[in-house]
Amino acid sequence: MTEKIENKIIARWLKKALNRRDFLKAHLKGALILAAGSSGILFPKMVFSETVPDIVVAKGSPVEALKAAMKLMGGMSNFVKPGNKVIIKPNMSFANKPEMATNTNPLIVKELAIMCKEAGASSILITDYTLQEPKSCLSNSGIQDACKDIAGVTVASANSDALFKETEFPNAVTMKKNSVHKDALNADVLIAAPVAKCHMATGVSLSMKGMMGLVWDRRSMHSTDLSSSIVDMCAKVLKAKLTIIDGSRVLSTNGPGGPGKVLEENTIIVSRDMVAADSYAVSAFEWYGQKLAPKQVEHIRLASERGLGRMDIENMTIKKLVI
Amino acid sequence: MYFRRTIQFISLFIFLALLVGAIYFTTYRLGFDLFLRLDPTVIIVTIISGRSFHFSFLPAIIAILLAPLFGRVFCGYICPMGTTINICDKLFGISKNKPLIGKLHRIKYYLLSFLIGASILGVSLVFLASPIPLITRFYGLLVNPLISLFSHMGLRVIQPLSDLLFTNAPVFEGFLTPRFATQFFILLFFIGVFASSRLSRRFWCRYICPSGAIIGLFSKKPLYKRHVSKECINCGKCVSSCPMNAIRQDVPDDTFYQECIICRKCEQVCPVNAVSFSSSSTENKMKNQEILPVRREFLFAGLAGFGTASVNMTGLKSLYGKAGVGIVEPPNLLRPPGAVTEKNFLSLCVRCGECMVACPTNALQPIWIESGFSGLFSPSLVPRRGACNPDCNNCGSVCPTHAIRNLPITDRIWAKIGTAMILRQKCLAWEQQKRCMVCDEVCPYKAIEFTKEEGNKVPVPNILEERCTGCGRCEYHCPVRNQAAIIVTPLGALRIDKGSMKEQGESQGLKISIKHKEDMGSQVIEDGPPPGFDAL
Repeated sequence: MTEKIENKIIARWLKKALNRRDFLKAHLKGALILAAGSSGILFPKMVFSETVPDIVVAKGSPVEALKAAMKLMGGMSNFVKPGNKVIIKPNMSFANKPEMATNTNPLIVKELAIMCKEAGASSILITDYTLQEPKSCLSNSGIQDACKDIAGVTVASANSDALFKETEFPNAVTMKKNSVHKDALNADVLIAAPVAKCHMATGVSLSMKGMMGLVWDRRSMHSTDLSSSIVDMCAKVLKAKLTIIDGSRVLSTNGPGGPGKVLEENTIIVSRDMVAADSYAVSAFEWYGQKLAPKQVEHIRLASERGLGRMDIENMTIKKLVI
Repeated sequence: MYFRRTIQFISLFIFLALLVGAIYFTTYRLGFDLFLRLDPTVIIVTIISGRSFHFSFLPAIIAILLAPLFGRVFCGYICPMGTTINICDKLFGISKNKPLIGKLHRIKYYLLSFLIGASILGVSLVFLASPIPLITRFYGLLVNPLISLFSHMGLRVIQPLSDLLFTNAPVFEGFLTPRFATQFFILLFFIGVFASSRLSRRFWCRYICPSGAIIGLFSKKPLYKRHVSKECINCGKCVSSCPMNAIRQDVPDDTFYQECIICRKCEQVCPVNAVSFSSSSTENKMKNQEILPVRREFLFAGLAGFGTASVNMTGLKSLYGKAGVGIVEPPNLLRPPGAVTEKNFLSLCVRCGECMVACPTNALQPIWIESGFSGLFSPSLVPRRGACNPDCNNCGSVCPTHAIRNLPITDRIWAKIGTAMILRQKCLAWEQQKRCMVCDEVCPYKAIEFTKEEGNKVPVPNILEERCTGCGRCEYHCPVRNQAAIIVTPLGALRIDKGSMKEQGESQGLKISIKHKEDMGSQVIEDGPPPGFDAL
């Protein structure tokens, strides 16, 4: 009986931590409580392994793997509350077919949208500022088709400046302001759903780099300091509440546009921490035939240094599943 | 009267619908240029200056052949320029329609003669006065961007409203509001055309229009024409009501058939019903001399056109003679994909702006005098504004005179526009050692290769010339402001008048293909970390 009550209190703390925009602070509090709890000071009977892991890695067919991984994360209802506005940011910037691994697997995007809807989301927008011709990107990626039958879900490109709003990035180091997608600013939940791929300039393009698809002036990011600007953008304004990295196929070479070597990894990486998810993806897959460490990616290193999240995957609770 | 107005508006509507279709209709692309091919001046001058005939020119021949039967029915019923001027006359025109001096009517013949004179030397000056290209530019390059702009602004008002009303409001991305160069010229020109409503009705059609002149020449005595019976009381009402000034002053039963557009206004206003239109062949008293061009002056105008073209040929930018040394071409002028060889291109292009209207990325722009007087308003590709889509053939499919070839889909990507060139001193990777690589990211043809340079921590871009089509996507996206650090120049542009672009390209050693799955670069990097990664 006491055990149940204790668990409820912990769960409430966790939920609070997850709901708050200023994730870090809450996370710290939660961690303190958790530490206290797990060390047995507060609640002697608390079992640590029952809490939500830092990273969940599921292998198997994309949809089943995603379902299983999200179950371990406490279900989508842990992130999306009834009535919430949700924005999902996949990769659909290239007019390529899914097998080229330059865009997120449409099945994963679709399943995410369904999960959000089941959790009671009032609106779900799936959007990206495409590099190539928007219509062909939406159709060739397969994402538009996959989601067309789900009511309440909009798949749209974000290629017009009118959709963006000038926004300041608090405590930014390089990029003090830029125009950010209005719906991302207004959304209750931002979900990063990138495909795992390499990138000529930034090493990899994962959840953090992918947020450039919700920013209007990307030119200035390149001409100042790309890595630092990415961290500035993800520090607060475009910090995803949930990150799902699609490693069903991994673009291992010639990213981000391909064509490159595609690895069939059948992996889904889920985390609340963008940096952790990205870090895991860097170390989990081969890039140009090499095994690399997260700190070899400048923007991941900077993000960890500036306290956005953790890249020390060796010290994290990672749940691995094979479906 | 209502019959004519209905036809006029239907015709204008079709004209505008075709224009809109040229922009948005992507699956079936034929006939959007129909009105341009109906314009007799466009076709006759093009046949002479381009020394070519094409079966798609037939509509204009039909328009001319209609003249001996129905006179200038094209002007009164079909021409969208005429309808637009009509509307303008209604809006701003003077109520008192004072006939101007008859001799003014001849201007159009002299203008026609001038254009033909120039075309003999292969110089096409149709853009000066041919009605359909002008009205296409008016609606396409001036009105269309304004409508887009206002619609875009309107959506900005609607979006917050719909956000309030619907839980899942649609996302209005808005319109890509096209922007065009030279639009102030079009504006001023049409202010002039419309302002002439204050002088007389249909001023343009009466005095200036060379297409009206061609049709006029063929409608000296049309089958279907105006007749005045003996009941005429000489009240002069028809004279002052005639929008074309086609009835002789003080002699209401005398009709200048070359001027009459069969609008039948005279029939309507006649108090004694003396005017009728029919195909009966009652003899006409009119002698016609007054309104026909004077032969000597007509020839003189032709000579003036010939002379103008000759002077143009002594201009620095002239392309006269064989291509080779001594020809001065603008260094960065890119022509649309599939444009024929420059000299022929300028002879054929009628500057209608249809390609620019149809370009989905707004990349095609009219130029001023970069390529000389004879290149005025011809299209050029401005990559900084928009890049050329590899699978789009909009410009070629709407070109009425085949100055831009309508290429089959297999040939299309081989229509090399130019070649990209990196300005290393401006390049973020080359000069500032910054992570960028945007050019590679956006290149659809895999024409950018990265190499490692000693002393540079980031890999630097290089162009694979044989893979580059000059689409300009790299220049468009290059983060370097103002002039990009990667620019497309006409170097290596594939310009052939006929034959397969693909064969020509392959024989020159080009290796153009859209990136596809099998087409991968290096797969394993052993010496040091892969591009974008830092060393441990």
